[in-house]
Amino acid sequence: MNSKTKTARRVVGVATAVVLAAGASACGSGGAGGGAKAGGFTYWSMWRAGEPQAKVIQAAIDRFQSDTGIKVDVTWAGRDVTKKIGPAIAARQAPDLWDQGADAVYAATAQAGQALDLSDVLGMEVPGEGKKVADVIPAKYLDALPKDPNGKNHYIIPYEVSSAGLFYNAADPDLAAAMPTAPATWADFLKVCDALKAKGRACLASDGELAWENGLTLDYLLAAGGVDFSALSSDKSGASWDNPAVLTAVQQVEQLVKGGYLLGGYDATKFPAQETNWSAGKAAFYSDGSWVTDEVAKQVPADWKMGAMLPPGATNADSMLFGFSMPRTAKNVAPAQKFIAYFQQQKVLGGISTEAGNITPRSDIPAPAVLADVQKALNSAPVRLTYGGVAGSYPTKVFNQNFLDLWHGKTSAEQFVSTMKSDQVSFWKSQD
Amino acid sequence: MATALQDRTAVRREGRPPAGSGAAPLERQHRRIFWPFAGPALLVYAVLFLAPIGYAAWTSLYKWDGMGAKQWRGLHNYQVLFGDPAFRTSLLNTLEILVVGGAITFAISLALTLVLREMRARLFARSVLFFPCLVNAMVFGIAAGFLFSPDGPVNTVLHWLGVAAPPKWLATDNLFPMIVATLVWTATGYYTAIIMAAVDQIPEYLYEAAELDGASAFQRFRHVTLPLAWDVISVCAVLWTVSSVKIFELILMYGGSSSNQPPVSTWNTAMYVYTEAFPQTSAPQLGMATAAALVSLVMVGVITLALRRLMRRTAVEY
Amino acid sequence: MRIARAVVWVVVAADLLLILWVFLTSLRGSSDIFAHPFGLPTDPQPGNYGRALNEGGFGRAALNSVLVATVSSVAAVALAAPAAYVLARRRTRTSSALTMTFAMGLGVPGQVLVVPLFIGLAQVDLTDSLFGLILVYVGLAMPFTVYLLTGFFSGVPAVLEEAATLDGAGPLRTFLQVIVPVARGGLITAFLLQVIGAWNETLFALVLNHSENKITLPVSLADFVATEQLNGMDWGTMFAGVCLILAPMLALFSWLGTRIIQGMTVGIGK
Repeated sequence: MNSKTKTARRVVGVATAVVLAAGASACGSGGAGGGAKAGGFTYWSMWRAGEPQAKVIQAAIDRFQSDTGIKVDVTWAGRDVTKKIGPAIAARQAPDLWDQGADAVYAATAQAGQALDLSDVLGMEVPGEGKKVADVIPAKYLDALPKDPNGKNHYIIPYEVSSAGLFYNAADPDLAAAMPTAPATWADFLKVCDALKAKGRACLASDGELAWENGLTLDYLLAAGGVDFSALSSDKSGASWDNPAVLTAVQQVEQLVKGGYLLGGYDATKFPAQETNWSAGKAAFYSDGSWVTDEVAKQVPADWKMGAMLPPGATNADSMLFGFSMPRTAKNVAPAQKFIAYFQQQKVLGGISTEAGNITPRSDIPAPAVLADVQKALNSAPVRLTYGGVAGSYPTKVFNQNFLDLWHGKTSAEQFVSTMKSDQVSFWKSQD
Repeated sequence: MATALQDRTAVRREGRPPAGSGAAPLERQHRRIFWPFAGPALLVYAVLFLAPIGYAAWTSLYKWDGMGAKQWRGLHNYQVLFGDPAFRTSLLNTLEILVVGGAITFAISLALTLVLREMRARLFARSVLFFPCLVNAMVFGIAAGFLFSPDGPVNTVLHWLGVAAPPKWLATDNLFPMIVATLVWTATGYYTAIIMAAVDQIPEYLYEAAELDGASAFQRFRHVTLPLAWDVISVCAVLWTVSSVKIFELILMYGGSSSNQPPVSTWNTAMYVYTEAFPQTSAPQLGMATAAALVSLVMVGVITLALRRLMRRTAVEY
Repeated sequence: MRIARAVVWVVVAADLLLILWVFLTSLRGSSDIFAHPFGLPTDPQPGNYGRALNEGGFGRAALNSVLVATVSSVAAVALAAPAAYVLARRRTRTSSALTMTFAMGLGVPGQVLVVPLFIGLAQVDLTDSLFGLILVYVGLAMPFTVYLLTGFFSGVPAVLEEAATLDGAGPLRTFLQVIVPVARGGLITAFLLQVIGAWNETLFALVLNHSENKITLPVSLADFVATEQLNGMDWGTMFAGVCLILAPMLALFSWLGTRIIQGMTVGIGK
């Protein structure tokens, strides 16, 4: 028995080694970590090869390579890059550079202290412009970000800025009649909705299963009432929900639901069905991030004139950054950082606006026409983080379901506040 | 050679006398090739299957984001897991798929067997009904978004038929029942095919005899088909247990996409493991993920044993 | 009974319509699909397929899928067949213990293995690699393939081998030249089932691979759907991608449907 198990173990051991060695040698070149040739660097992108941003970045890479001779080894990994980066860091296979939204960068790397501090990049010169990177990116964007364990929040250098709001077709005659000037208060906004309703038009289209997009209005209304979502959600006692300003904001959202202003069937669709209905003119407003203009670009009629406003009452636009980040384990730091600075050049970064139809962090690059309103809002006042930059599984496990119940009219404002409070308490208990 | 050694020890341990003289060379040959033949498969299985289960069990005792250091948590992860409403929902949903979905699937499969048995073009019908289980379930999730939207094809058809207020198919509350229904639809064809094949083995004369005795179609099913196909049905029940617990892509796409998680109310344990281990906007919780995975493993084990025990009976010879 | 039969035919018709609908939709323009989900391709867009294959990345993914599915299935059967053969022939305690060990793997849902395999493969640099994915599929295939083939080999009469052995054939030759031809049907079935499984496998493919030249069709589809956020989606192209996933299964099934169904049944009946 004994000798048998011993032999068996030896056999298994040897064979394991053989299998693993065969695997490692067969695919030794597969990893990204060692992939970069001397002087080059590796980059995993959140975009897929066919997407407009990918085309802009690819063009920049081509120019960068011929200008500097630095080889960029790019992988168009798609949105799931967020899920791959942490484990790749652990296995020492992470790329030198990657990009995503600031919230994803923070969640996947920075909050665990795994993101490289990019303050050096801010001090680098933007090639050919005589300015530093810090001079062209407004400090307010980075200042708003949550800090990593080392107290740093320069873990992302943005190339695209988005902001949430209510989007509409300014050329819609019904809407123009109902809303001659932008409503200043929530009550005014409801009047606009009433006027639309009188004409048989829905005020708001909503893909009812999306808690994040639909909750943006609540987030803004909370901010308008002086409540920061981050402070609200991080209170382990849940007492933050007792603030009367919270209930007021929730009741305002409830008015939208109870008032019948939402496009019928909203609680039974799968994204992007109602967004498409909105772009076909079936409702006046749609709440989303400013990328909505790209999402519907191919669908809207030719005479569509994109307008955007903050939910009335709110004064500060929120900002959502998309940009480059580097894992702490990056091996080819200098060339990757050089590329980040290179990308900030007006003529390079301009492509994000002209080709990819998005706002760049540089205020001297005009936003595409459809986003002019949003850029104005971003430039005019201090910015805040969407949902206060809340990270982790709080949205999925606490907020989303409760919010959708409110949004679908299943719970009242008061019920929503009290379940949020109790669910929040039990959530934080499960988190340590 | 290790194998030769292996062989000799095996003989010594088993100490089996050689069998009848005719079979002896063959027997010896089988003994000689046992490890060389079984070894490679066993090795691959051990490295890529058994060892990972052990590693999962070990990881489930730690708090680990996959990047930093592991922190020992012991069984605390399991305690937290059962305190997490999202996990409880996932577990209940998994059980609901398994029990409710399973009961419906098997009821329909048996009914279909009964119907198909005496139907024209039965093989064609069986093939069409079988096909959905060969399709990647993501397709159904995507298609459902179109088919069941408020002014989509399904409601259009219902409208023609005079249904004024069709259900809100894709409402968050209805998503999970919709997922179960889709699953039942895809699985039914599969189990029907298996049970039908077993039924086809039943000799025709038994049915003829039953018919002569004046048994109705249902009685023939109850007293001939069911007992004689019972073994296959019980294997199917075990198969269902495992395959229903690992449903993943159907749920992923029904209520969301790979970058946009479906609502918690539709999660099962596979989804829970995926979102804990590969989250979109939070740090991975590998300890929790593996703990949840082990809970589902234990669940499968317990239910399989229970099923085998419940469904065991003496084989019917015919 | 008549009603029941009618219901069956309605469901059969619905299944066929669904396949037809997916195909027709893959030929339509994006905005058209949402405006009239039930419409016919009045203005057919075969270009959807070109876009899906090239820009959509489905072309490369399809090649990868073919490669991963066939190689992993061949390897799985090549490994499992000899093991299943000796497990079916030897009636010792070791043998039945091993058979049991393999069979127990049938009860392990994939989510148990996903985290450890991901970490393990990352350690040896095999994530985001087709070889790594193939290894995983071979490992995952072991329990079922061994189980299925053990059933097949038990059905092969020992008389054949006895004759071969008396003729002086070695064990390997006996296996390859006598047993394998007789059990060919079973091996092909095991291979087919494995191909189907690998073709549709999503969880591991999604978790392990991400580079556009290393992903398989299900991942390609999931990624394509993910781009609807931020950049909107070309629905016609996506449905073309869906058809690329469906078509081989449909072809395989119309060609070898009976064998697939029988294979699944025989293996399970034992």
